[in-house]
Amino acid sequence: MGKDLIQKSLKDSLFTGIIALALFGPIVGLRTVAKNEVLVVEPKWLVVLLIVIFCAVGRFFINIYTFKKEQRRGEASSFGKAISHFLDEKGSQIAIGAIAFSIIFPFMPFADRYWMDIAIMMMTYIMLGWGLNIVIGLAGLLDLGYVAFYAVGAYSYALFAIHFGWSFWICLPIAGLFAGMFGILLGFPVLRLRGDYLAIVTLAFGEMIRILLLNWYELTKGPDGLTGIPRPSFFGLPFKRYPDEGVETFHTFFGLEYDPMQRIIFLYYLILILALITNAFTIKIRRLPVGRAWEALREDEIACKSLGVNPRNTKLTAFAVGAMFGGFAGSFFATRQAFISPESFTFIESAIIVAIVVLGGMGSQTGVVLSTIFLIGLIEVFRDFESYRMIAFGGAMVLIMVFRPKGILAKRKPTITMGKHG
Amino acid sequence: MSNTLLDVQNLTMKFGGLVAIDDLSFSAKKDHITSIIGPNGAGKTTVFNCLTGFYKATAGSMYLNKDNNQMDLKKFSDFKVAQKAGVARTFQNIRLFPQMSVLENMMVAQHNKLMVASGFSILGLLNSRSYLQKEKEATEISKYWLDIIGLTNRADDNAGDLPYGDQRKLEIVRAMCIEPHLLCLDEPAAGLNAKESAELNKLLKFIKNDKKTGILLIEHDMSVVMGISDHVVVLNYGKKIFEGTAAETKNSPEVIEAYLGTED
Amino acid sequence: MEYFLQQLINGLTLGSVYGLIAIGYTMVYGIIGMINFAHGDIFMVGAFVALIAFILFALTSIALPIILILVLLIAMVFTACYGWTVEKLAYKPLRKSFRLAPLISALGMSIVLQNYVQAAQGARIKTLQPVIQGGFNFFKESDFVVTLSYLQIFIVLVTIVLMAVFTLLITRTALGRAQRACEQDRTMTALMGINVDRTISMTFIIGSSLASVAGVMFVMYYGVIDFYIGFLAGIKAFTAAVLGGIGSIPGAMLGGLLIGLIETFWSGYISIEYKDIAAFTTLVIVLIFFPTGFLGKPDIEKV
Ligand SMILES: Nc1ncnc2c1ncn2[C@@H]1O[C@H](COP(=O)(O)OP(=O)(O)OP(=O)(O)O)[C@@H](O)[C@H]1O
Ligand SMILES: [Mg+2]
Repeated sequence: MGKDLIQKSLKDSLFTGIIALALFGPIVGLRTVAKNEVLVVEPKWLVVLLIVIFCAVGRFFINIYTFKKEQRRGEASSFGKAISHFLDEKGSQIAIGAIAFSIIFPFMPFADRYWMDIAIMMMTYIMLGWGLNIVIGLAGLLDLGYVAFYAVGAYSYALFAIHFGWSFWICLPIAGLFAGMFGILLGFPVLRLRGDYLAIVTLAFGEMIRILLLNWYELTKGPDGLTGIPRPSFFGLPFKRYPDEGVETFHTFFGLEYDPMQRIIFLYYLILILALITNAFTIKIRRLPVGRAWEALREDEIACKSLGVNPRNTKLTAFAVGAMFGGFAGSFFATRQAFISPESFTFIESAIIVAIVVLGGMGSQTGVVLSTIFLIGLIEVFRDFESYRMIAFGGAMVLIMVFRPKGILAKRKPTITMGKHG
Repeated sequence: MSNTLLDVQNLTMKFGGLVAIDDLSFSAKKDHITSIIGPNGAGKTTVFNCLTGFYKATAGSMYLNKDNNQMDLKKFSDFKVAQKAGVARTFQNIRLFPQMSVLENMMVAQHNKLMVASGFSILGLLNSRSYLQKEKEATEISKYWLDIIGLTNRADDNAGDLPYGDQRKLEIVRAMCIEPHLLCLDEPAAGLNAKESAELNKLLKFIKNDKKTGILLIEHDMSVVMGISDHVVVLNYGKKIFEGTAAETKNSPEVIEAYLGTED
Repeated sequence: MEYFLQQLINGLTLGSVYGLIAIGYTMVYGIIGMINFAHGDIFMVGAFVALIAFILFALTSIALPIILILVLLIAMVFTACYGWTVEKLAYKPLRKSFRLAPLISALGMSIVLQNYVQAAQGARIKTLQPVIQGGFNFFKESDFVVTLSYLQIFIVLVTIVLMAVFTLLITRTALGRAQRACEQDRTMTALMGINVDRTISMTFIIGSSLASVAGVMFVMYYGVIDFYIGFLAGIKAFTAAVLGGIGSIPGAMLGGLLIGLIETFWSGYISIEYKDIAAFTTLVIVLIFFPTGFLGKPDIEKV
């Protein structure tokens, strides 16, 4: 029996090696490089050899391991269960702890500029994830063009702020409204499409918006992007070292030394508040009829129709609300960067946000936070390896779908319970 | 005014070359349980799909008498049949919201009413008293129905985790939550054991007598059909081959032939 | 008139490329009901394999027709390995999962493939010297000379031959029958003793080989490729598949030709900057107004 297994595994790993050779031989082993304007092939056989050996040996051990695992399967899955059980049980404590931690985060000793930037980036993704969670997680509409609303929010914020000089707090709702209206406009024709068609059409819309931003030079300055977007101020007090004559700044008003970190910390709290608003909104609306109808539509559209729920309007609200939060996040992005160009709104951004939502567990707010930390952290760790980090990212998407298709946190809490009402 | 609730005339439904319903006319009364029976593929479910707007009938007319208003069901598309005309239905393959709790299933069925009460979510977001009151009432209604089918203690469990028979019953009372004038049930007794079947009979009689809701019933289980039907319509290959009381149907040679085939 | 004719020729050539990719989408959709998001990137891998093969053969003194055949075969074999592996790794474990899972897995696979090729082959665009040159010129006296290049003839001919072989394969062989059976009812097919896994694998292998041929043509026709070409080409080919009626193989070819024509005429007469918008707009319009496409089966949801 054991010998048979080893023999089988050896055969299998040999086969794996051959496949790996076919896969990596030409693409990795024969690198094309330009020499004097002409492409030549540069062999890299050593790398291929290593990869092939790695695949074959890895396959061998996986075979042996999965065989042995037969007896241990129960153990392994109960470990996974224990984790999610823990998260379910202690959910609210963890949430409070996490919020407390994020509030004191800027004053942690290690929170330097680098960490603050990462924290702001993660918060932005968490907010986007929470926004998209309404669309994908609750309403079950796979929107692959979410970045379009992010872009609409960013551009409308930038244009209003640059051309009219309006302050952040005026432009923010306008930008959100704009994005929401866009959501309705796009959603109206496409929302009756089947799930996978909807995914492709939203993807196409996302790309169309980007192409439009690239080519509508008069309005968007095309690939050059919009510069000089006003920075946000603290209730009218700007964060500047050398303000214009007679203008009070944040540090003079509070009698502080000027420190560029003040602005960063302010931005951090800004996005934290925006994200928490998104979260509170979602938690609340999930318990309202419309939120329940979203989830019901995700579960069974035909049953919804038979109960008189208007599927189109219901989906449209999900789409519009999600778009609106995308627009808010876009405004924040614009004011933080002070510069935006179509390059920031490519399809890959949509893919990242979708991955965050799905890997977190459809509809789970905590899941979004966990998967953001995991995925953005992953991308960050591989920061210096431009394409390797995206390989790792895409690979993580596949792996999590294969091993935990329901996402990290799969359990859902009912929106209303009998206990509460008697 | 007659007590006709539903009047179907010359209904025809074609799928390409296949005529699933062929010039079917029948009517159902307010205080009746009208059964539609027939062999597999006779077109029973298709009749429901036409009535409830899931399919667009090729020809014919369907009128619902809603408080002495003749409503042309052909004018409504799927969700509007339930919303505007008050026709509720269940499905041959149960369609609950499996990952949502039993209570949530009942609440979704009261969506339109609650949507208005929540001021299309605005009042709801503001935690308005009037909305909370309405939500509480809706919960009471759900509890009322769950008590009837004995599922109150499972109200917070996922509907998909219920045993099969309970899922069937839940689907029926969920449909009742929209306060329908006509309730269309597609093989509610399928897969139920004798005890569950008897309970189902009781439930349907209760809906007919106490809730004054007309019932259109598709059923293969003859004990259910014979036990509770006031009127039976028999379909075969999309055509009506017989119509009459349960007792008449049982003894009709046409019906026996359709079910058992001719003997030569 | 001459200009129109030229656009027509170019459009049909481009359409052949899209059509070949579209077959992969349509077959996979037919058999497992998912949009193989990574299919465009499989096409891109095919183009890279072809590029490498062409560069290597250029160093030898083999005759051109033999090189062409060899490159086609090499591209098909190696790219088929990619299609097969992608299915095994990313889709097969998800056959019974919830409906969006394979789509997301495919999205991840697409990201992996793009960045893997970028890492292995570099991000810069790759240029290939023209392999087949020359052609026929028409209307030499007029202001606008219409060219029908040998390359275009080659592309259209290869497409026609492949389509013929492929149609035979689907209609006449046991594999084709198994495929059609799987489309109807996978469980029943398995009960009849047909190896469903192998049939699905074969579908991916065939689809990927056809996409790789499209890749060979693409690299010969445009002469430049990069790791990102699969994204746009993939969306356009998908549009073609939907236009023709997803699930229908002749439909995919027809849709491909139409998309090729729409794109060339749009760039020829309207605006070249917005030429990708043409494809996207077509996609949206088709999906909204003709979701079953030209040759697709009507799709009344059974309730
Ligand atoms: N959407 C559809 N497209 C094509 N044919 C359909 C469709 N819906 C139903 N049919 C056909 O119409 C005929 C009647 O089907 P229907 O489901 O109404 O039968 P039924 O009487 O409900 O049978 P059963 O007792 O098996 O439920 C069948 O031949 C069926 O194949
Ligand atoms: Mg039926």
